[in-house]
Amino acid sequence: MKQYTNTHEWVELLEGKAYVGISAHAAEELGEVVYVDLPSVGAAVTAGEPCCELESVKAVAEVNSPASGIVDAVNEQLADSPEKAGEEGVWIFAIASPVLAEGLMSEAEYLASLE
Amino acid sequence: MKTVFEKSVKGRCGVMPAALDVERYDFDADRLRDGLVLPELSEPEVAAHYTALSKRTFGVDDGFYPLGSCTMKYNPKLNEEIAALPGFRDAHPLARADKMQGSLAVIDTLSAYLAGITGMDAVSLQPCAGAHGEFTAMLMVHAYHRSRGDEGRTKVLIPDSAHGTNPASAAMAGFEVVTLASAPDGSIDLADLRLKVGEDTAALMLTNPSTLGKFEKHVLEVADIVHEAGGLMYYDGANLNAVMGVVRPGDMGFDLVHLNLHKTFSAPHGGGGPGAGPVCCKAELAAFLPDPQVVRDKKGFRFGRSDWSVGRVSAFYGNFGVCLKALAYIVTLGGKGLRAAAETAVLNANYLREKISYFYPVGEGRCMHEFVLSMRKLRDETGVTALDVAKGLIDRGIHPPTMYFPLIVEDALMFEPTETASKETLDAAAAALKEIVDLAYTDPAALHSAPHNTPVGRPDEAGAARNPVVKG
Amino acid sequence: MADYLSISDSERKEMLNFLGITDVDDLYADVPMALRRKKFALAEGKSQQEVYNAFKELAARNATYRSIFRGAGSYNHYIPSAVKSLASREEFLTAYTPYQPELSQGILQATFEFQTMMCNLTGMDVATASHYSGATAAAEACVMCAGAAKKVVTFANVNPDTLETVRTYLEARGIALEVLPALDGFAFLPDEGTGADAVYIESPNYYGILEDTETVIASAHAQGAKVIVGGNPLALALFKSPGELGADVAVGDAQPFGIPMSFGGPYLGYMAAKKEFMRKLPGRIVGETADAEGRRAFVLTLQTREQHIRREKATSNICSNQAHCALTAAVYLSLLGPEGLKETAIKCASNAHYLAAALAGVGAKLFYEREFFHEFVTITPYKASAIAAALEKKGILGGLPLDEHRILWCCTECVGKADMDEVVKTVEETL
Repeated sequence: MKQYTNTHEWVELLEGKAYVGISAHAAEELGEVVYVDLPSVGAAVTAGEPCCELESVKAVAEVNSPASGIVDAVNEQLADSPEKAGEEGVWIFAIASPVLAEGLMSEAEYLASLE
Repeated sequence: MKTVFEKSVKGRCGVMPAALDVERYDFDADRLRDGLVLPELSEPEVAAHYTALSKRTFGVDDGFYPLGSCTMKYNPKLNEEIAALPGFRDAHPLARADKMQGSLAVIDTLSAYLAGITGMDAVSLQPCAGAHGEFTAMLMVHAYHRSRGDEGRTKVLIPDSAHGTNPASAAMAGFEVVTLASAPDGSIDLADLRLKVGEDTAALMLTNPSTLGKFEKHVLEVADIVHEAGGLMYYDGANLNAVMGVVRPGDMGFDLVHLNLHKTFSAPHGGGGPGAGPVCCKAELAAFLPDPQVVRDKKGFRFGRSDWSVGRVSAFYGNFGVCLKALAYIVTLGGKGLRAAAETAVLNANYLREKISYFYPVGEGRCMHEFVLSMRKLRDETGVTALDVAKGLIDRGIHPPTMYFPLIVEDALMFEPTETASKETLDAAAAALKEIVDLAYTDPAALHSAPHNTPVGRPDEAGAARNPVVKG
Repeated sequence: MADYLSISDSERKEMLNFLGITDVDDLYADVPMALRRKKFALAEGKSQQEVYNAFKELAARNATYRSIFRGAGSYNHYIPSAVKSLASREEFLTAYTPYQPELSQGILQATFEFQTMMCNLTGMDVATASHYSGATAAAEACVMCAGAAKKVVTFANVNPDTLETVRTYLEARGIALEVLPALDGFAFLPDEGTGADAVYIESPNYYGILEDTETVIASAHAQGAKVIVGGNPLALALFKSPGELGADVAVGDAQPFGIPMSFGGPYLGYMAAKKEFMRKLPGRIVGETADAEGRRAFVLTLQTREQHIRREKATSNICSNQAHCALTAAVYLSLLGPEGLKETAIKCASNAHYLAAALAGVGAKLFYEREFFHEFVTITPYKASAIAAALEKKGILGGLPLDEHRILWCCTECVGKADMDEVVKTVEETL
């Protein structure tokens, strides 16, 4: 089940790894993604800290990691098709042995927070 | 249109140098390259190519150009002729200063005028553009505090309505940027300022009038707060055109200023440059100006250096040719003319704003030389965006205003008509805007697909950024 | 007085009326009274005719020279009439930055073509639209290449203005700059222990000498440092390009390409780099794309690097650049083409080698025994300023005295055998 941050990332735990993406709301605000500056596999990330960037033509969005841990994998298809980063449910990177950030929201809570 | 490379035909050449009259020198073959690809065209073909390109470019003589914060005023032809005088154009920057007294007099005289206009004491013309001036001034701020043993001033305060160059320049000079909130009218939120100012404040960077076209009413209070905390006040001269001759940054409590000679002082923008971004400062900061400085002694003008200087920020003395055009402009207009230019710029802006006041203006009361409209309501009601309105203006022979800036206004369009626009031009622009708004309610699709009368329609910018093709 | 205003007195009244005010002063209501100036202490305006005459008189206070043998960063080349005429077209001269691509295809395409020319000359994959000068291009390239070591290395034989500018930019960011001595006017990078993120080298260097760039690049790369190669781009018409030699970034000043000396500016800084730097480069870049109907179109691209989007996190603060100078250089290069440019470079170099040999013949020997392009240094103990003065008297701008003994000479295609023989004769008389 996805959990959300107040900076519009989602995180989902699957087989011990945390998969991270951005919310539909964030994707709409940003516009068509033209470039993804992916984190390096093996890099340490800290919950709440920026670790990756998404670029549209006229804007840059930092992705804050929803969990602390080590980057275990990145979604390679984003290198050639960055626009997919804004699509529903597409993950950007995954974190091994993650420690989730505090204060994550359920989908319902997140959607309510946007009102 | 084909590129100049695609038009190239092997073996053609426009211009060759005069024949050698000494022995031809041959370098060792292993140093030499092969396969240099440049266009091969006759002179008539080159002339045709660039003339065709010029016709696909919109200059200030081609129509109304109300680009907010860019001050697209008329660029006098006289100034171009002056900059092309052989005595200036062919002057070598490293000829002896005593043989170049004309050029040094230009630097000295323009510096004196700019000091007078801004209420400052010393000037450097070396910075080559506005952002370069900002960077130079921030280096001076750093050097000033350090010279006083005040090492802890690591932060620069910048309002959220500022041009992006302000935070970028402060960061390049090694400072941390602290963003100040604006009140809804674009003025500084004094409570937020008091909260954020402190003994780590190096300076506050302020554009006055603001990017919302409003004069900062509390500027003296702002200066007091910053000075009391030990910080310096920096004036971004982007909007000086509204107030030159009326009020001086030096009297408003500012310690340093940069000017944009290509905006305020009529030097042409050149399709993006060259500009010139002189820095003016109060006497106590003069020692930190970039090297070299023009000084005068009984033998005339010469170059001098300061032990406290921040160093060089570019080669030679900056964009001298641009400075020359600005000086010609100032000498032509004189004090009264400059003031009349500012007043007329403000009158034109207020007139146009009033003419289209039904059209979602931002803020109350009068504006200075520019004003901002918000297209939010139009977008909500018709789906027509600020971008669509801008492109609709293109079809009506008008260069769009600045779009989506300042960032604190949703769907912003920022108009700066400047003093050189005529009343008919302003009336026609108001009529064109009305036509576009009416069209938004009846046929929004016609605006979504604008412009229709240009060589190309809206380019696919996302495609350009995703798969960059940056050379032919 | 000319004021360039288009509002008549009666229109002004009408407009004030429309606004419901009587005086333009009312529009300044927000400006505190205490700050408003009653008088503006600046001279009265002048007629255009008077202004022109005044500047003609000022221009006449600059010496003009029959022939020029001084370079050192500013070069006296012949500028074809077509360059001046085409570049001064009002549309190119007065347009704003092309943020509205539909109205700016001309300047965008010209910039794209300029980028292509600079890529071809430097052997690189991507070039920016321009920088203020070769000095700031070098400085920004050093900042771009600086990384974890926070250290850049360069040599004592680079252009001194460039060196000072690089130092200013690096100091501001807390990046160390080490200047290695250049014995014999030649750069040498130790094979280990440099500990730098980047090396900046010029070829031809300040003394006109062609460096062994390839060796420096190999040594730097072996130590994990990037290499930025500066130099006069006219030399690139002849010699192997920085890209071919393995450099990461090429910078310099393209003033020799049709831009007048104009007392030091405006000039034309350029920066070109390998593909990996595409999203790190400072300043504007034009890219090719298409409109909805598939027509070729040009736009400013990769803008997320820039200050108007990324603000304090931008790769640089640069906004205005030297676009019109880039356009001028593009016209110049289109007119000369590869053959015209090569011939120009050959003529400069041939003249310089003739002059160097002739000066050596009368006692002004070459100071550095190295291959050079079109600049070189002579040594004449305690005679440098006397030589300069003697040439000055004859209306010749001689080489630049570097100290009491050494002179840095430059020959372009604008001088001929007779000019050079006159210099040699004058030097002989002085010695």
